[in-house]
Amino acid sequence: MTADTATLLDPAVLARIGNLELLARTVVEGFVNGLHRSPHLGSSTDFAEHRSYMPGDDIRGIDWRLFARSDRYYVKQFEADTNTNFMVLLDVSPSMRYRGATEGTGSVSKLDYACYLAAALAYFSSTQRDRVGLATFDDDIVEYVPPSAKHLRLVLHALERTTRSAAAAAPERARGAPSRASTLDAPLRKLSESLRRRSIVLLISDLYEEPDAVLSALANVRGRGNDLIVFHLLDRVEIEFPFADATNFVDLETGERMPVIPAYLRAQYRGVVAEHTATLARRMQEQRIDYALFDTSKPLDKALFAYLLARERFSTAR
Amino acid sequence: MGLLAPAFLAGLFAIGIPIAIHLINRERRAVVQFPSLMFLQKIPYRSVRRQKLRHLLLLAMRCLALALLVAAFSRPFLQRRNATSSSLLGARERVVLVDRSYSMGYADHWKRALDATRVETRDLAGNDRATIVFFANDPAAATEPTASQPRLDRAIAGAKLSSEGTRYEPALKLAAQILSASNLPRKEVVMISDFQRIAWGRRDDVRLPPGAAMRTVDVGGAQGADLAVTQASTDRDRVGDRDRVTVTARVTNTGAAARTIDATLELGGRAIETKKLTVPPKGVAQARFAPNVVPASATRGTVRITRDSLPANDAFNFTLAPGEAVSVLIVLPSKPRTNQGLYLSRALAIGDRPAFRVDVKAEDALRAGDLVSRSLVILDEVPPPNGAVGTRLREAIVAGTGLLVVPGDLAAARWSNEWRALMPARLGSVVDRTRDAGGTVATVDYGHPVFELFSAPRSGDFSTAHLFRYRLLVAPGDSGVIARLDDGAPALVEKSVGGGKVLMWASSLDEYWTDLPLQPVFLPFVHELAKYAGRYGDARAWFQAGDVLDLSRHGELTAPFIADAGASAGASPLVLESPSGRRTPLTASGAEHLATLSEQGFYELRGLGTAAGSGRPIAVNVDPKESDLSRFDPRELVAAVMATPGAGPSGSGSSAAPEELERGQTMWWYLLVVALLLLAAETILSNRLSKTESAGRV
Repeated sequence: MTADTATLLDPAVLARIGNLELLARTVVEGFVNGLHRSPHLGSSTDFAEHRSYMPGDDIRGIDWRLFARSDRYYVKQFEADTNTNFMVLLDVSPSMRYRGATEGTGSVSKLDYACYLAAALAYFSSTQRDRVGLATFDDDIVEYVPPSAKHLRLVLHALERTTRSAAAAAPERARGAPSRASTLDAPLRKLSESLRRRSIVLLISDLYEEPDAVLSALANVRGRGNDLIVFHLLDRVEIEFPFADATNFVDLETGERMPVIPAYLRAQYRGVVAEHTATLARRMQEQRIDYALFDTSKPLDKALFAYLLARERFSTAR
Repeated sequence: MGLLAPAFLAGLFAIGIPIAIHLINRERRAVVQFPSLMFLQKIPYRSVRRQKLRHLLLLAMRCLALALLVAAFSRPFLQRRNATSSSLLGARERVVLVDRSYSMGYADHWKRALDATRVETRDLAGNDRATIVFFANDPAAATEPTASQPRLDRAIAGAKLSSEGTRYEPALKLAAQILSASNLPRKEVVMISDFQRIAWGRRDDVRLPPGAAMRTVDVGGAQGADLAVTQASTDRDRVGDRDRVTVTARVTNTGAAARTIDATLELGGRAIETKKLTVPPKGVAQARFAPNVVPASATRGTVRITRDSLPANDAFNFTLAPGEAVSVLIVLPSKPRTNQGLYLSRALAIGDRPAFRVDVKAEDALRAGDLVSRSLVILDEVPPPNGAVGTRLREAIVAGTGLLVVPGDLAAARWSNEWRALMPARLGSVVDRTRDAGGTVATVDYGHPVFELFSAPRSGDFSTAHLFRYRLLVAPGDSGVIARLDDGAPALVEKSVGGGKVLMWASSLDEYWTDLPLQPVFLPFVHELAKYAGRYGDARAWFQAGDVLDLSRHGELTAPFIADAGASAGASPLVLESPSGRRTPLTASGAEHLATLSEQGFYELRGLGTAAGSGRPIAVNVDPKESDLSRFDPRELVAAVMATPGAGPSGSGSSAAPEELERGQTMWWYLLVVALLLLAAETILSNRLSKTESAGRV
């Protein structure tokens, strides 16, 4: 990837683009242009095998070179392109609206970053002629766009509404308005019921639940035969805990307060977070779920790579 | 003890916060909004300086009251599994599904599964009922729904490991069926298994009835390493006048470390050769043994490797049999024309897989003894025989011998009624198409075994053959037309008679009426026709546990008995003895020609009343797919089979209907009362202390 493309995928730069469709196109085309020599692309017309010619076959498929050598008619067969359901499950719980405010960290919230990712991947999948759909949820389903080849625009509008409503809710959060703690289990159970066909399901969340609870919730989706990709989004502040002064910490999900001396807790906090993410990664690998942790201050290309690799693996695992 | 709303336990942190606020000697300047305090709450508090706590009794009372309130809101209940809870909530219908596939023989999994089954069946009370279902590829209920402990114990004591693979779908369907038929209010399924990934397919679709719960008991533990002989191939070649066979075995290793083992070839129960073999981790290795002479009769062969934790797949059985010939009798007229029968007999004389043993008899020289041990009789422009010979031929057909009738221009008026009933078509007039260059075989059923060989392009063209004259065949409804001519007239017709097939060819099988014998397709056509009518099945060196043995399709297995007992032996009783000694009466054809091969090892097929060891061995192996011990999360299975979301899939461990248990016990009410009493006492005490302190200050 060139330096220019990397800059283009910087979330802080992307945040200045108001139109989500334009943003998605910019990201995907910038990414694909940067990747034009990558081995991960160009598998759509892979040669598969030769087969004897049978009456009724299209004669354009005959391998005439082979005919010249063997005096027999053979037809070349290629791996067929398939289109599939690509469903994005986007966590819009209050904790996703968190935007790290410490110096040197990214200037977009986890939700904004997640929306960019969802828009880019939906756009990318749509260009692959996949049926794209979106579901946003907190402790229940908030918005649902069923998968369809014609729903890209609906998905992008829904994502824009999500970012706008998050921005409107931010002042309210600042005043410390209480809310309910969200769990993955109930919404994922409902969503798995609504998925009629096997789909590639992308879950974007900050996964603030115990690994057992997360895996139990994901089993609802996996148990229906869907291929599942989990993008775990965390702000750099959540990973590094760079606070200095003793303060009261307020839980964005529950409104709960807690007095904390960060200097004493930093090392332990980092250890707990590292253990949490490592446990999630290990457990999901055991369950054959594609899991990737993303820092929202980093460019989007890593996420796109992760999605493409997972997609390639699903297609070769047929 | 369980909690209906365990999330309320987070409220216990509220006890710590006031204490911490007193203990931390730092001023709080600001409020920081943070996505979640989940991780912070896991870290033990640290303070700079501890303050002296005053009124410890008051603090303790407040904390205790708070804890009781939290506990009350969490709605606790006791998971009692006794008669009291059962009587409170109604009787229970429990189906215990126990995996008995051969992978359960790994280490102590089977013992643990039986122990778990005992635990699940001894946990019944009152009017509870249980059904034990043992399953591998297919489920079998070991008991009816019963509350009788001795019956359940007997079923467990009689349980044995199977040689088959695992499939969850049929077992769960049977469980759903049992639960649907039950009128008890509480329904649950307990599955005891090692939860192999291969047992549950993505497309499997089972739903338990509404309200039913499911639990899983995983006896598998960590994924184990295993070595298995998954295949043995027998390649034959001919040296001089003797057939030789080279056995190659394929050994797979699912473990993470390379293993060096011994692989031994046994023939007829004797160890012939042993090879050292190193199998790479998660890989495959092949053991190729030196060539051996094919024995004169069917012999048992086994490739055995060093025994490991799963012994069932450490041996691979096969049968070595000499090449078997299809015996064909061609009956010609007393005065045949020149070359009549020549093309047919020459064509059948070619080929060794199978070899055809051809005898030619004149019509007037045909005797009943000539029909003994025949696979196929061809009446080449000869009327069906009458008298004792005719009766014997009809018996042989019913027993499995094939009959190919080439009527030519014979008159059928004098055929007996018995023969008319057996024939696949009535004979019409002779059609002469010499003027329009003859008819061609235009429509062929390529799905039929006779023409299957020709289904691929460039595999034989029947349209090049011309049928200048042919007999018009009128096929009744119970006959099948396999091939038709370009004018729609049947060319080849068949009918099943008992275990045998009767086929009729409309033209001749020499160049008298057709040039078909001069075409390249004639040889494979005659071979396929003779193989099909003679019931020749490709000899199988082994079967897989769970396969159904259809003797009517394996003439090579029953041929020795037909040869011994005469043409009517197809209906004579045979016996199939399993490796464990269980005997099943069979016949080569007719109603009892099917048997399920469920045990690993060697079955023996022999005539009724003959000595053990004198029959034909049939090798049976376990399903190699079952050797893949990779596992999956039982919660996926539970989530997939529960009827409605939120119906209480409880995974492994807890039982169903916690809401009902909690509602029956109402422990929260008692906790709330105690908490309120404590708070009242705390209020009184704090008032008194406050007054005392005020008085002291004054």
